Amino acid sequence: MTSRGAGVLPNVITDAATGRRINLLDWQASNRRMSWVLGLIMVALLGAIGYLLAQVTNPGSALFFVSVAGFIGAGQSVAAYWFSDQIALGAAGARKATKDEHRYLVNVTEAVALGAGVPTPNIYVIDSPAPNAFATGRDPQHASIAVTRGLIDMMDRQELEGVVAHEMAHVRNYDIRFLSMLAATIGAIVILRDLVLRWFQFGAFGGSRSRRSSGGGSGQGNNRGQGIMVVLLIALLVLGPILATILRLAVSRRREFLADATGAYITRNPEGLASALEKLGAYQGEGLEVSEGVRHMFIVNPLAHHNSMDLFATHPPIQQRIDRLRRM
Amino acid sequence: MATIVVLVILAILVISAVGVYNRIISLENRYQNAWSQIDVQLKRRVDLIPNLVETVKGYAAHEKAVFEEVAHSRQALMNAKSVGESAEAANQMTGALGRLFAIAENYPELKANENFKMLQEELSSVENKIAYARQFYNDAVLQFNNAIETVPGVFLAGPMNKKQAVFLEIPEAEREAPKVSFAG
Repeated sequence: MTSRGAGVLPNVITDAATGRRINLLDWQASNRRMSWVLGLIMVALLGAIGYLLAQVTNPGSALFFVSVAGFIGAGQSVAAYWFSDQIALGAAGARKATKDEHRYLVNVTEAVALGAGVPTPNIYVIDSPAPNAFATGRDPQHASIAVTRGLIDMMDRQELEGVVAHEMAHVRNYDIRFLSMLAATIGAIVILRDLVLRWFQFGAFGGSRSRRSSGGGSGQGNNRGQGIMVVLLIALLVLGPILATILRLAVSRRREFLADATGAYITRNPEGLASALEKLGAYQGEGLEVSEGVRHMFIVNPLAHHNSMDLFATHPPIQQRIDRLRRM
Repeated sequence: MATIVVLVILAILVISAVGVYNRIISLENRYQNAWSQIDVQLKRRVDLIPNLVETVKGYAAHEKAVFEEVAHSRQALMNAKSVGESAEAANQMTGALGRLFAIAENYPELKANENFKMLQEELSSVENKIAYARQFYNDAVLQFNNAIETVPGVFLAGPMNKKQAVFLEIPEAEREAPKVSFAG
């Protein structure tokens, strides 16, 4: 059986630290499946919010609310699948690298792509002195890698190869598709929450009083029902982003370790990436200004001053990653 | 009843044979495609050499021995017919280019030349790409060889006339830094 986009990497990567074996083909399949699930969650979540909104305002038009919300959710999913790479690259302020201007980066990326057995991705450069990199796209045939100017300046060839190979691993493992869908889901929840909060502020609830009589049933019961609905709506809108964050944290730490291991296998040189991570960890200069939605996609947290041990860290502590690479 | 059982067994055999056949073919295509990736880089290097030699000659015209060596390996590569011959000529060229760049170290003006710097970066990345492509090729060859030597592939390899593919060896000389030669 051959898997799409898979080159001749071993199918099983063993984590040197824990001894746990991860099958890369399973991981890829799981990423593709989870991307679908996220798309459906988006539709379901928006549908549920639409239903609750309808209950609060006008229960008679629940079907209309649910269909509109579900349709928006589906549109979001499709847009995330097709355009999230452009959105992420735009949000990070990346522009396309040219062979004349970035010969070194282009050559390194082409070489690593040969080793990974994937087509050379589109290469982008972010004009920032903070060293960092990320990958995006939907599959190895439609993938982009973006690195900052600071990274190119700071790393020697082996280190840059290590970083590019780590990103190439995200491409090969279909992490990029999953993370794109995840970013879109989280983005949709956040936008909705903001919309509803604003709507509450403008006191749109006043309108529901006049419709009470047309709702049928006793006014008292309907009132209590409305109260429950409002609580549910708030709970959903507040809990949604928190759940999404926890999910993102849980999945991305393992993802980074796996990409480190796969990347080290692509270059057959764990020391290149280990040494690059050391430099990334030691960097004390200014941070990289990017929006919250794309922060988890970078190889190291773009924030200049963060505590890597805190609960909301999207990345494993750098020292732990270096140790694992050096033990390979 | 018995005929049905026989037919079912036959059908299962045919279906698995088709699966094995397809796997062997796709692995063969993979390693052959991997070779063509190496070939692309070898050709690119051949194309870069005349420009490089011209640039170096402008500063170090008397280093004839190394120019001849480079020209010779280039000719050998262009005449190569098999994977083995190409690989041998390519290794020879790697050695010759290593010596050429080592000589260039003695000419500060040459090293400062923009065109030379560009060519040096291009050639060292071609070298790098060849190394990566060769690694991928060897992995692909290993998979193919395993597939045709183990059960069930081994039963079909004979009738399909598939033979083991050759690995590309990394020569010892390439692993160490090229030595400076003052010959010529």
